[in-house]
Amino acid sequence: MIRAFRAEMAGIFRDRQVLMIVVLALAIYGLIYPAPYRPELLRVVPVVAVDLDGGESAREVLRRIDASESVTLAARLTDMAAADRAVQSRDAYGIVLIPQGFERDLLSGRPSPIAVYGDASYFLVYQKVLSGMAIPVRQMGATIAAGRLMAGQQLDAETATALASPAQLVEVPLFNPSGGYATYVLPAAFVLILHQTMAMGLALVAVRRRPSPAPVARQLAGRGLAWLVIYAALLPLFLVALPRAYGLPWLGDLRLVAALGLPFVLATGLMAQLIAALLKRTEVIQPVLLAMGLPLFFLSGFSWPIEAIPPALQAIAAAIPATPMIDAYTQLASMGATGPELATAIRHLWILAALFGLGAALAARSARPSQG
Amino acid sequence: MRGIAHVARRELSLIAGHPALIWLTLILPLLLLAVLAAVFLRGIPTDLPFAVVDLDRTETSRSLSRMLEATPELTTHPALSLPAASDDIRAGRARGAVLIAQGFERDLLDRRRPEIVLFYDNQHMTAGAIAARGARGAINSFIAGAQMGMLRAQGTDATAVAALVQPIPMQIHALFNPAFSYIDFLLSAVVPAVVQIMAAAAVTYALALDFARPATGGAPPMLALSRQAGGVLPAMLGKLIPYTLIFLAVIGLADLVLFGVLEVPLRGSVALLLIGAVLFVVAAALIGGLAYLLMRDFGLAISGVAIMLAPAFGYMGIGFPREAMPALARWWSDLLPGTWYLQLRIDQTLRATPRDLSLPPLLALLAITAGLAVLVLVRLALMQRRALDGGAP
Repeated sequence: MIRAFRAEMAGIFRDRQVLMIVVLALAIYGLIYPAPYRPELLRVVPVVAVDLDGGESAREVLRRIDASESVTLAARLTDMAAADRAVQSRDAYGIVLIPQGFERDLLSGRPSPIAVYGDASYFLVYQKVLSGMAIPVRQMGATIAAGRLMAGQQLDAETATALASPAQLVEVPLFNPSGGYATYVLPAAFVLILHQTMAMGLALVAVRRRPSPAPVARQLAGRGLAWLVIYAALLPLFLVALPRAYGLPWLGDLRLVAALGLPFVLATGLMAQLIAALLKRTEVIQPVLLAMGLPLFFLSGFSWPIEAIPPALQAIAAAIPATPMIDAYTQLASMGATGPELATAIRHLWILAALFGLGAALAARSARPSQG
Repeated sequence: MRGIAHVARRELSLIAGHPALIWLTLILPLLLLAVLAAVFLRGIPTDLPFAVVDLDRTETSRSLSRMLEATPELTTHPALSLPAASDDIRAGRARGAVLIAQGFERDLLDRRRPEIVLFYDNQHMTAGAIAARGARGAINSFIAGAQMGMLRAQGTDATAVAALVQPIPMQIHALFNPAFSYIDFLLSAVVPAVVQIMAAAAVTYALALDFARPATGGAPPMLALSRQAGGVLPAMLGKLIPYTLIFLAVIGLADLVLFGVLEVPLRGSVALLLIGAVLFVVAAALIGGLAYLLMRDFGLAISGVAIMLAPAFGYMGIGFPREAMPALARWWSDLLPGTWYLQLRIDQTLRATPRDLSLPPLLALLAITAGLAVLVLVRLALMQRRALDGGAP
């Protein structure tokens, strides 16, 4: 077992390529992956206005929209063709169109509609465009309605306000209150990077390893110990220190990180042994694992809701250690989940470790040269 | 020309006799694209789990609960308290919750403008936002209904009520995506993401096969190949052309399914898409070629490709617009061929962008391809000179 431990350590630290994957790639990915999302969110989304009315109320609508915290009025254009083009060229992500006669209808007490066009190519941007326009317009509408009630029905200000907007919707976005894209996507990305570099590096070590006559169980135990020693340093760096360095929310308990990390490292390492036994060749292992990254990201049910993924694919995803780990780690780090809430995921990871261990042992036994 | 054809034919028989190459170039990319398509195929999620905390338990609060239950995006379940609902959200048993406080009905009737509080999981942003959108719609219609009832009780006539409930109605248009489905965008985006990395990896592998010294000793096959082809350049072209054609076929096949079977709208110029696809595949293959020629070792080269291209999806500007990225990230995304090919694909299929606006991504692809080709040629010339000087090949 000690020999297997030493051999695994040497396999990782004396192989330039493995070291490059396990340590250097991890460090570089830690810098590269988060870079696009550094500004955290599109604070203000540029929109353009086409004001065909030009009256005082139209200007008031545009003033309020411009003042909203999620959009800014980048330009006032004279016709829809110009506005369309601004959206096509991605200079703006929304259009507010105030039709002719807007002021007249409003003054005569008729509903006086405006049109809003949002670029729905981008989910987050569209949400911001809509809320940036809908909230100020609704508030202005309530003020106008209250004014009409006070003038028309001689109501006091309080009653008029209550009739203009009888109940208030208060929205509380949880765990990621500012709606940051980095907060949303990085926890999953960090787990996946760790998973992929580890699987790739350890599978290469396994392929290049010379067969040993020692009992398989002892060999696996020795290797497992080596992984745990190495990842006892790398995993906290990547899953605890790095998110904090990026200013992501951190509600996690370090003991629970360890409780998840232990079976995760073992399951991933043992899966790597199995991958090595199946693919057999260095030149195949790396491209295959490389190509798996994106499908694993979507299969993990993180960015694309798990509720929408077909059950057969959910079952395949559940066989990959990254899937329960992404889920549990996000719940732990960003949502402050407690031990009992993570118990299922921890059990899931241990089961995967046991199954991959069994598979790796069987593969090693069948691969061993028969010596009688 | 004959030299190129000779090497290309040899490459094709090499691929045919090499299961690993068939896997890398054809089976794996198509399999991954199929898996990714299958992930998105069920469409926008509906029936997301949602908790309703009704502490008022009156006819009014129950009618709001019923409206939430009737929302297609949601499947509601009652939660006894706010902490219970918050546990549900944290454990993934609910994507959001609504709190109706005690005394809600009384406060509404007394015109004290009670609050309805909507909580949603913004960590799992896609699911949370869909749940919130559904709940928001239901709550706003509930409020509008309550308001109409109160105004009518006040003696306001029907036409005036409409103008009081919504003095400035908003007609909302979702541009380029009227069904508000991101599936078409994601399906469109996974093609360049998968092909970019697979084409680069396959070419790295193919070059390693011919440049590496064989295990039996002797010179790497590339030297003999260059002699047969009449130079390093035709030998290189002969090696690259088959991969370019194979990955173009992969894109073609994927797009046939996308536009033909899955009915992703194709509102643009097929010619522009075709030119873009050719430039993109050549560029991706050249990245793999350059990586190998610079490193001269498969392991290091493929790691270089991995570092450059594995994070590329995040830089392509799907879901998160490139215009919002910091300068450094944007500059890096400018250098990746997939970025421009994806923009071209989205623009010429879903966004129906005027053709002149698609010129910049095409020119960028052309510049990247030309730049990579120059780098590969310079590197090959240096290697050839060193080989002629009698140094190591």
